[in-house]
Amino acid sequence: MDAPRADMRKLNLTRWVIYLLVGAVVVLFCALPLEQEFEASKDVKAVFNRVDALEPGAHVLLAFDYDPASEAELKPMSRVLLLHCFQKKLIPIVMTHWSNGLTMDKGIIDNAAAEAAKEFGRPFQSGRDYVFLGFRPAGSNLILNMGENLKSAFDKDFYGQPTRAMPALQGVNSLKDIDLAVDFAAGATPQMWIAYGSDRFGFPLGVGTTAVQAPDMIPFVQSNQLVGYLGGLRGAADYEALLAQSYPKAKAYATRGMVAQSATHVLLILLIVGANIRLIVGRLNRKQKGRSHG
Amino acid sequence: MFLKKATLPLLIVFGMGLLAFAQEFVPHPLSGDFREEMTTWFRIIGGFAMFIGAYSLLHLHVTRIRRQMAGWGYSVFVFLGAAAMIVVGLWNDGVGPLADAEEGKTWFDWGYYFIQVPCSATIFSILAFFMASAAFRTFRAKNLAAALLLIAAVIVMLGLVPVSETVSKALFGDRQVFARAKDILMDYPNLAAKRGILLGISLGAISQSLRILFGIERSYLGGGD
Repeated sequence: MDAPRADMRKLNLTRWVIYLLVGAVVVLFCALPLEQEFEASKDVKAVFNRVDALEPGAHVLLAFDYDPASEAELKPMSRVLLLHCFQKKLIPIVMTHWSNGLTMDKGIIDNAAAEAAKEFGRPFQSGRDYVFLGFRPAGSNLILNMGENLKSAFDKDFYGQPTRAMPALQGVNSLKDIDLAVDFAAGATPQMWIAYGSDRFGFPLGVGTTAVQAPDMIPFVQSNQLVGYLGGLRGAADYEALLAQSYPKAKAYATRGMVAQSATHVLLILLIVGANIRLIVGRLNRKQKGRSHG
Repeated sequence: MFLKKATLPLLIVFGMGLLAFAQEFVPHPLSGDFREEMTTWFRIIGGFAMFIGAYSLLHLHVTRIRRQMAGWGYSVFVFLGAAAMIVVGLWNDGVGPLADAEEGKTWFDWGYYFIQVPCSATIFSILAFFMASAAFRTFRAKNLAAALLLIAAVIVMLGLVPVSETVSKALFGDRQVFARAKDILMDYPNLAAKRGILLGISLGAISQSLRILFGIERSYLGGGD
């Protein structure tokens, strides 16, 4: 067998071993009834404290700007933010820039409203306790339009109810009347919300992103353009832990996922360390061989 | 003819661009009305863009099927999937012929929750496997720069997961050592690089906008420079 083909075969074999190891670790640690203790990050605490400090009846805009591909990371944080709003008697106004996520968003809101009704002992009704505006196209221009006149940008909610006389939207005419906005994003919408929304119309903005996007948010937190951010499943788990202090059942999907995520990270570190030990040993062997030949 | 083909669109772009820029500095109600009207128009145009996107997608797959290009069979599924979802979506408001409307479960919801959601989530989840394999092959301490990258990556990976707090407590008697080290890496070297990239992108976007405004960049007209 020639050398390139042998190398390719070795590479494929290594790849398959890694895939199997990662798969086995994730499945095993998801199945085990383990839980880990951890402290919430300062950026998640900042978003939590902002929501927690709002007075009952305050309006919180939640933009679910993602689709099912990012559901695993962003759905847990969407759920827990909604529950926090319901617990504090705030009025969440949900919308999306991603048409692909619309049906999923409805499911998240319905489930959170049902869970809140069961746990907090009162019904939560669309149009009175929360609003689901649904989807409109045009991205940044939609935000500008909402900043001018929210009820003209969304003249009807997702269920076809006119927004003009909606009790939940009393006192909200534009983005200037929003007390806090949080964008759950799988794409570039946070930058859009900052440039065309919060900077222009002056409302505080927080963000929840997938883990790979989280480092992109740090410059905006440092410049105070963002209140804080929730990064990936860990961000959602941090928020669940903070809310669990007053509502223990908040700990759910994200908290359970932390054990599997920890185990996978440790596996990755072990693999990297192992590969480097092999590299160093190989180098030393070659040096020794060189000396003995010399 | 020339005026119709290139000059007129360029004049419209220049005029509208100038007005959009100027209204930012005019604190008059008329300026606000103009902005609201303009954003409404943008949204209408945005709606049409979705049709263009759908047309472009379908056109691409028609071509693949017609020319029987490699993997053309998958393109057939694009049409089957799109047709199935359009039919069940439009049929009696998405309720479909057999679904239980009282339960609120429609055929459209079924297709969304049991096909689109798991398929999309699966594709995204595969990333974890690729990243594990790529990390194993690329994070090698071949020189000083690679060794620094490797150490930084391990610290950030550890600092992000709760297990680091247990390890940190056992090693240093403080739960937050790895988390703090991760924060230092993210808040200083990472931030400096990110800010540089952001500034570069913003300056690029401004210069590109000016090129479009002044008619230097014309590729959006369809004819190249």
